[in-house]
Order: sequence, then C-alpha cells, then structure tokens
Amino acid sequence: MHTEPSSTTHDTHATEATHAHIHPAPEGFVRKYVFSLDHKVIGFQYFFTGMLIMLIAGAFAILMRTQLTSPTGAIMDHNTYNEMFTMHGTAMVWLVTIPLVTGAIGNFVMPLQIGARDVAFPWLNMISFWIFPVAAVILFSSMLFGGPHAGWTEYPPISLADGTAGALWCAAIFTIGISSTLTGMNFMTTIIKMRAPGMTWTRMPLFVWATFATALMNMFATVALSVATGALFLEHVFKIPWYDPSRGGSPVLFEHMFWFYSHPAVYIFIIPAFGIVSEILPVFARKPIFGYKMIAFSSMAISLLAFTVWAHHMFPSGLAPWLQLPFMILTYAIGIPTGIKMFSWIATLWGGRIHFTSPMLYAMGFLITFSFGGITGIFLASVPVDLHLHGTYFVVGHFHYVVAGGTFMGFLASIPFWYPKATGRMLDERLSLLGFWLFFIGLNGTFFPMHWLGIEGMPRRYASYTAFAAQNPDAVFWNRFETAFAFFMAASIALLVFNLIWSLKHGKIAGINPWGARTLEWTISSPPPYYNFKEIPIVSGGPYDFEKPLPYKNTDNEIEEFPEYGKVLMPTPVLAGSGA
Amino acid sequence: MAQRIARAPNIVRVQGLGPGFWPATTLLLLLCIANSLYWLFGNIDWLLPSSSQPFSDRVYDIDGLFKFMAVFGGDIMIIVTGYVIYFCIAFRARASDPPDTVGVPIHDQPKLEFWWTVLPTILLVILTALSINVWHKIQFGVTSPGLTMEVVGHQFYFEYRYPGLKGTTTEAHLPIGVPVRILITSADVIHQWWVPELRLKMAAVPGLVQNLNFTPLRAGNFIVTCSEFCGVNHSQMQGKVVIEPVAAFNTWLDAQKTAAAAASIPIKLSGGNVAAGQAKFHQICSACHHDPPTPFDQKLVGPGLLHITDDPQHPTLVTGKPPTPQNIAWILQNGFTGSIGTMPNRQANGLSAQDIANLVAYLTSLK
Amino acid sequence: MAASTLAREGHAAVAARYNAVDSVYWETRDIRLCGFVLVLLSDCILFSSFIFAYVYLRTSAPTWPPFVGGHQLPWFDTSYASLNSVILFGSGVTMHFALENWKHLHKAKFNAWLVVTIILGIGFLLGQAHEWAGVLGEGITWPGSTWGASFFTLTGLHGFHVFVGACFLTVLGIQANRGVYTGSKYLGLTCGTLYWHFVDVVWVALFSIFYLW
Repeated sequence: MHTEPSSTTHDTHATEATHAHIHPAPEGFVRKYVFSLDHKVIGFQYFFTGMLIMLIAGAFAILMRTQLTSPTGAIMDHNTYNEMFTMHGTAMVWLVTIPLVTGAIGNFVMPLQIGARDVAFPWLNMISFWIFPVAAVILFSSMLFGGPHAGWTEYPPISLADGTAGALWCAAIFTIGISSTLTGMNFMTTIIKMRAPGMTWTRMPLFVWATFATALMNMFATVALSVATGALFLEHVFKIPWYDPSRGGSPVLFEHMFWFYSHPAVYIFIIPAFGIVSEILPVFARKPIFGYKMIAFSSMAISLLAFTVWAHHMFPSGLAPWLQLPFMILTYAIGIPTGIKMFSWIATLWGGRIHFTSPMLYAMGFLITFSFGGITGIFLASVPVDLHLHGTYFVVGHFHYVVAGGTFMGFLASIPFWYPKATGRMLDERLSLLGFWLFFIGLNGTFFPMHWLGIEGMPRRYASYTAFAAQNPDAVFWNRFETAFAFFMAASIALLVFNLIWSLKHGKIAGINPWGARTLEWTISSPPPYYNFKEIPIVSGGPYDFEKPLPYKNTDNEIEEFPEYGKVLMPTPVLAGSGA
Repeated sequence: MAQRIARAPNIVRVQGLGPGFWPATTLLLLLCIANSLYWLFGNIDWLLPSSSQPFSDRVYDIDGLFKFMAVFGGDIMIIVTGYVIYFCIAFRARASDPPDTVGVPIHDQPKLEFWWTVLPTILLVILTALSINVWHKIQFGVTSPGLTMEVVGHQFYFEYRYPGLKGTTTEAHLPIGVPVRILITSADVIHQWWVPELRLKMAAVPGLVQNLNFTPLRAGNFIVTCSEFCGVNHSQMQGKVVIEPVAAFNTWLDAQKTAAAAASIPIKLSGGNVAAGQAKFHQICSACHHDPPTPFDQKLVGPGLLHITDDPQHPTLVTGKPPTPQNIAWILQNGFTGSIGTMPNRQANGLSAQDIANLVAYLTSLK
Repeated sequence: MAASTLAREGHAAVAARYNAVDSVYWETRDIRLCGFVLVLLSDCILFSSFIFAYVYLRTSAPTWPPFVGGHQLPWFDTSYASLNSVILFGSGVTMHFALENWKHLHKAKFNAWLVVTIILGIGFLLGQAHEWAGVLGEGITWPGSTWGASFFTLTGLHGFHVFVGACFLTVLGIQANRGVYTGSKYLGLTCGTLYWHFVDVVWVALFSIFYLW
C-alpha cells in the first residue's frame, strides 16, 4: 500500500501511543532467544519445535506405510501399529499443524502486516509458546507407558483401556489447548486494536483476515476440547463416570464434545493456508487478489459455520436419525464460501503475469489438491453415502488431501515466501522447486488410491488387511504403490530441512522486498529489527495495489524505486514450462 | 532527503478473455461431458463393488447419489485444474516483459461472482434434496420388517440373535426379498458393522441400540468387517454374512435351533475329576491343542491351553469373557467361531456333560 | 514487560506512568479490556461444555436421579441453595456499590463495600462446603454416578472461580489503597467487577439446572 513517509506527516497519536512506543532492546541470550517477548522470535521457536515434531510424526507415518506393504503386516504387531497411528495423528494435529500455521507463520507475519510492533500481550505469547514443548513432552512420555492406541480421536470406552498412557494423552491435549486459547485471544485483540492508523478492516491483508477468523475459532472451540479431554482424564484417573455406559455415562457424549472442537479445528488448519495462498497469488501474478471482500467475508462465514457442523463425523455412530438432517444441510452449506474462494483465486490468475517461483507453484498446487479434497468432503457430507464411506480409507484420503494437500501445501508455500524476510536470505530456489515436485507427486501418489481402497472395502486403522486382500487382489499392489510415493514426500521434507539450514549461510542476500509485494512487512529490513517499524506507518491504500508504483523507504529514509525489480531476486520473467 | 517517485508500472493489455480462451474452454467442456457420460452410463463396478448387480435395495440409491456427485465433482476438478493450467500458459510472464510489468488490476466483477455463487448453491440444493430423499428411504423405508435380527459387537467378533433361537450364532444369514431390520449394539466398546457390498454400516455402541433397515436382493456370501477401532485385533474382526433364498434360510435357522437345543444340557462343574479330564484331553483335545498343554502362542490348530486361567498376555478367553470355570465350560459346550478359528461344539466332539466337568477341572488345575 | 517493570519499579512508578501520558493509558486500557472480555467469553464456553455434558447425560438416562446400588439417589436441597445464592447475588450488588464509590472517590466506602463483597463471597464458599458435606452424606459421590459427577464438577469449577475471584478482589483492594488507581483510571477494578458479575451469571445457570429442573 501507499505509505506516507513520516517526515511529511507528523501524528502525535501514532508516535506516542503505547503500541507505537519502542521499548528498550532485550539483552542477554535468555531474554533474546529463550524467553523472548518478540513475536518474531516466538514464531521461530514455534517453527523449530513444530518441524522437529513433524519429523518424528512423519517417521511414524513412514513406518505405518511400510507395515502396510504386506497384508499380514510387514514390520510390527497390531499393538505397535495402533500406537503409531495414534501418535502420528495426535502429534500432527496438535503439535505440528496448529503450531506451524498459527504459532509460527501467524505469529511472525501478522503483526508485521498490520504495522504493529508486537502482539497485544507479548508475555502471554511467550507463555503460550512454552506450554507447547511441555505438552509435547507429556504426549511422547505416554509412549513409555505403553502409549495410547485408539487413534487421535481416542474414543471411550476403548480408550479407557489405555490406562496411564491414556491419561497422559488427555493431559497433553488439555495442556496444548491452553496455548491455543491464549494465542487466539492474543491474536484477536491484536487485530481488533492494534492495526496501523489508516488500516481499516477492508484494507487488511487477507492473511490477517484469515488469522482473525482462525483466532476466533481457536479461542472458542478449544475450550470445548479441554472439557472433553479433561473429563476423560477425570474418568481415567478418578473413575468419574462421564463416558462409561455401564455406569450411566455415554460414549456418544464424548463424540459430541470432541467433535464440537475438532470440526472447527480442521478449519483452524485450513484458513491460515487460505490466507497464505491469498497473499502469494497476487504477488506472483502481479495483480490484485480477485474478490477481496468476498474472500474476507467467506473466511468469517466459515469460521462461524464451523461450529454448526460437527456431527457429520458421527453419522453412523449413535446420532438420532432426525439430527443427521440439519448437520448434512449445514455441511453442504459450508462448501459454498469455500467454493467462492477457489473461484476467486483462479480468477486472480486471469490476466496476470505469472512468475513460476516456488511459493507460486505450491500455491497453485494447493488450488488443485485442496479442490480435490474439498470435493471428496462433499461425498462424505451426504448421509447415505457417508454410511458407506465412514471409517474407511476414503476418509483417510480425504483428510490427507485437505490437510497435507491444503494446509501443508500452504505452509510449504509460505516458507520460501517469508524466509527472506525472516532471515535476510533467499532459500535456494532450485531445491525449493525440486521439493515442490517431489511433494506434489508424492502426495497424489500416496493419497489418491486411498479413495478406491476405501470404497472397495478397506477400513482405516487396520494393522493388517488379510480379509480385504483376499477379496481384492489389487489391494496389495496399491498399498505398496502408496508406500513408494510416501517416500517422495519424505524426500521433499528432507530437502526442505537441508535448504533451511544451508541457506542461512549460503542463501543469496534478500533485500527489503525481493518479491515486489505490497504489504507492510515488505517495507522494513530483512530481517526486521526487534521493534519492527521505526515509525508506525500510516496506511492510505489497499494491500494488493500492484497498479500503483512501489515507493518505499530504505534504511536511510529515502524513497526510491524498487531497484532490483525484474533482476536476479525477482526472477527474470520466464516462459512457462522451463521450470524457472 | 532525495525523493524520487517511481513511474507507474507497465500494465498488460488482454485481448478479449485471453489468448486461446475459447478453444481451451471448449476442450474443458468436452472433457466435462466425457466425465459426465462415463459416470452416468459407464460400468463402475471396479470402484463400487457389485454396483451394476445390486445385492441390496440400498445399493441403487446410494450408488446413484455417488455417481451424481462424481459427475459434478469430476467436472469441477476438470474446470479447476484446466483453468489453472491454461492461465499459467496464457498469462505467464514473458522474458520480453519490461521489469515492472503488472497484470490487469481488476478487483472484482460482481456479475461473475454472483453467478459463481448462485450456480454452485443451486447444485448443492439439488444434491441436498436428492440426499434427503435417499436418507429418508434408508432410515424410514422399512416400516414392517419381515425379519428382525440382533447384532451384538464383541471384541473381536459379531454375535447374532434371531427370533425363536435360544442361543446366538457368529455367522449372519439373511433371506432374499424379505425386509430386514437389524438392531445393533455392543457388549464392550464401540464397533461398526460394515458389509461393503450391501452398503450397510452402523455403529455398535454399548448402551445404545441402533437400527438398520434393508431388503436383500440376490444370493451371495459376504464379509462383514469392523470399521470402528475397537482394540488390538480390530483388523482381524471379520465375519461371514450369507444371503440365501427363503427356503435355505429357514433350513439354516431350524438347524441352528436344533443345535442350540442340543447344546444346552446342564453341567455340574462340582463333580469334575482332574485325572479323568486329563485322559479325555489326551483322547479328544490333543487333535487340535498341544498335549501336554503349552503356552498360548504354541499353537497346533488351536492355541496352547497351559495358562488358560492365568495368562497375563491373554487375560480373557477367546470369547472375551474372564477364564472362569463356567466360561470355559461354555466354550466346551457351544464351540466357538472367531478370527482365531473354529472349535467344534459338544456334540461334534462327542463329549458328555461329565466329560466337560472333568475337562474344566483338569484345565483349571494347570498352572 | 509490565510484570517485570512492576517488580522493579513498584506500584507508584507504574501509576505515575499511567497518569503521565493519557493516550498511552487509554490505548493500553482498551487492549487489555478487550483481551479480558474475550477470556471471560471463552470461560463461558468452559461452563457451557460441562453443562451440555450434564444435560445430555440427564436427558438420555432412563430415570433421573439415577440408581446406584439399587437405590435411587435423592434430589438436592433447593431451599438451602437458594439461601446460599442470595449471599452470592448480594455480593454482586455490593461489588457494584464498591465500584460506584470508587468512581466518586469515596475511598473509605469503597473499602467497606469491597470487604463486604469478599466476605460474602467466602461465605458462599463455606455454604457450598457445607452443602457438599450433606450431599456426600446422602450417598451422592463424585465418582459414584453421573449425578454426582456433574454436580461436583460444575459446582467445584464454579467454586474455584469464586475463590480465585475473592483473591483477585483482595489484590485489587490492596492495589487501590496503594494508589495505583485514580478516579478516572481503574481498569483493574473494572475487570474485577466484570469477573465477579460473570461468576454470578454462571451461578444463575447452575442453580437453574441443578435445583430448579
């Protein structure tokens, strides 16, 4: 957006208001890097911890896929496999996905995009981060007690057999829930109260809208999860009868309480990715996002509707038949705002000048894989069809397409995009591009055949599938096919980790704005100083006004043309197909 | 301080809707038509088992919905993927562009947005209506069932009860052409009874009875597989479902009733003799179980019975019940069919009531 | 940052800074009040979730109160609880008076009403403890039935909130007397009053579902 240099506009309010006050620099290693109050450092901490746990949970996934290369189970017994899928799911949902997209990217980018110095409650932000490794330790320690076995959903009564491990699982989820709730409150307050002067709601970047919608869900839904798992913990430890039917409890009660959170949770995963894609497409198509107001409005509509559809996870499970109807209708309804976004993103590409950088390829890959995942979701929304597909590999395929092909693709897009801002260096572009193709191909190869397997009759959470393989001779081939492609994804992540570390020392120096983008984070140095903006900017335009020229201040307070536009860092426009 | 303001960037001009837009759109439309025709008229048995020759009345309706969604889902995927690829080609940045080239700065197009909101909404409304129709048939279609069967889920087998049958069976038989109501519950944890070819699935929830209604159409043998995680042997929890003509079904049911009547003779466990039990074990049971008895995992045909009452790895019997003398006697009397195999019942083994008492005494004396 | 400066510089310095630059105070107040209200809203979800669990268990049970060991458990004593409720609601009224007096700079009256509020709150807790003893005596235990599970969990959670509130109000009273708040700048007191009224509102819900239903 067009920002006035503060030498020509002097606003007392802007410079003396609390959030504009520059506090003294933190001193000492502990204050700077361990118990930092700086949202950027906290973002790094979430990133590092989340990636570490992702490697562990991903390794479990590779072990699971290896197990399924043989219908009798290739490498482990049933108990161990059950533990693997439980830990994989639990860790990926709560200790990888949410911390990475909300804690890491949200924390780092959102305050910069609204022209703030930090979030509303930096101390709470720090506490919210430190709760995260504690929760991780609690979760993984459950494996020392035999581990939880009943899947990331840990339904009672079967999960009550998990004993100490089950209680630890509950404690870990409860703990991480506190972090989510506090972060949600923090982000909501920041966005409501701390935007730079002139940044009205309709001048906010779409990633900020996405963060707001996500924070709303984080804040209000997570408490319900804390209650569901807290009650389960009480049942494990103190034998309080909430869910055990032999003592008056109800297993279906757990399902209601669990899914009341866990459905908004999946929107908590995806909406930040929607925001990331909304940021990246305009920059590399060199034109404004199409349908800004509708995309912003639909994010809010999704975040509210998200609270009304939870029982579609329970269609065969003990829901009264008359209740199935409204949930089916609302689940269809929530497809409409999502569709609007998809069409708006595609229209953003129309009439553009598309540069095939790695963030752009990830963002466009997202359009395809997330669409497919959304469509299989429509299948599952229909009660009669869901009565065939529930609990099968079709569901596994569906949610991996939307989480891995949606959220994770968005996350992978955001890394080469914002890494230059965070570190001052570019990621190696060729490695990023190779990583994209490995991931895209691996994802489709691993999860596409799952839909067929599920429809044909292979249930999920099966450590071995001898009966199904006897009926369907192709089952073994497709399971092995999926396992092979899973290794492509593993290779992509390995490349990414290497790239992240290597580029810290050897990446090309990034300027202030290597991509020629128009949002506020690209007007300050890379990496930004701890106080972000020397003077809080005053905003007078929208975040995607590519048709206006790009004045910005370099560190000497001079306004100059974007000097490196079109040269090495903003890659020379190339013809399609030459792979950049 | 120097203040140089940059000149306005070079905005591209687009002819019409883009180079090759209409040929590309035509191609995509043709692909959509091909996709629709395939799903509507093609044979999709490779995907939906026995779709073209349904075994139950639900298959036609559920598969019809599925095909409808596949038509539109496939068409949407073709359009999304097609336009993304086309736009990448038509609107790619060219090497000859001046460095500050930007795309057409349109922010919105209300008419277009209106249509792409309204049309999918109409589509979803149609889909909702179709789904409600099928939902209603499935939930409320069978008003007066000809047969009511009860299913009880256990770890790790399903148990079936029929009207007039005193005992239970572990194999489900159903008659062709008779509307069936299935009442499902569980004795322990949540299970899910799923017969893929019949498109039948319902959860077995402890403390709740749910129902499932359908009419079998053709004869066949099917596998029912548990599709809700229920414990360590969840993946091995399968059973048999047989659909057969009414006459054959009645014959089978009568045979079950006779067997049940014969199986339930009173047994006095207090009079059991350990030595006699050991002799009977050697005579009959050693055909399938190791003699002298071995730990569980040293199987012959059936598991080793040395630690039948005190094995920490297997704290329950194969029936899922605690290893009390009564429960051991039950297995000897009724036999057992489950994932671990089949054990013949009392008559098949040629055991008398006293034999059972002796065997129980012997087995419980093992340590 | 605020916590550490408080420790280092003391209340007087913090108050001085609050009063020095008005715009700094009002913006901080705005942000903090927004955050506090959001936290109270999420606390509503906390209680709502447990209330949902209780309502679900009660409406899906074949009989209520449930049978334990062959005997049907008794209902709770509404009249005793009504008395206790009056004490709690009364403390809400007294808190309102306390805040009004602060706004009009009647410090002594503020102190008096605040102390009464805290005493009434503690009185409520003691009344609860007495009721719990009675309920346990009648055979309704925490792990014994869904009736006990819901009752003790919800009233216990609420009682915990009352206890935290009493501590909160005590700290506020100390801070007010040390001169941290002025006649126009008293965010802490506003938050404390909001929290105390919130606790009352939750009690209205709990009273209705355990004693009136």
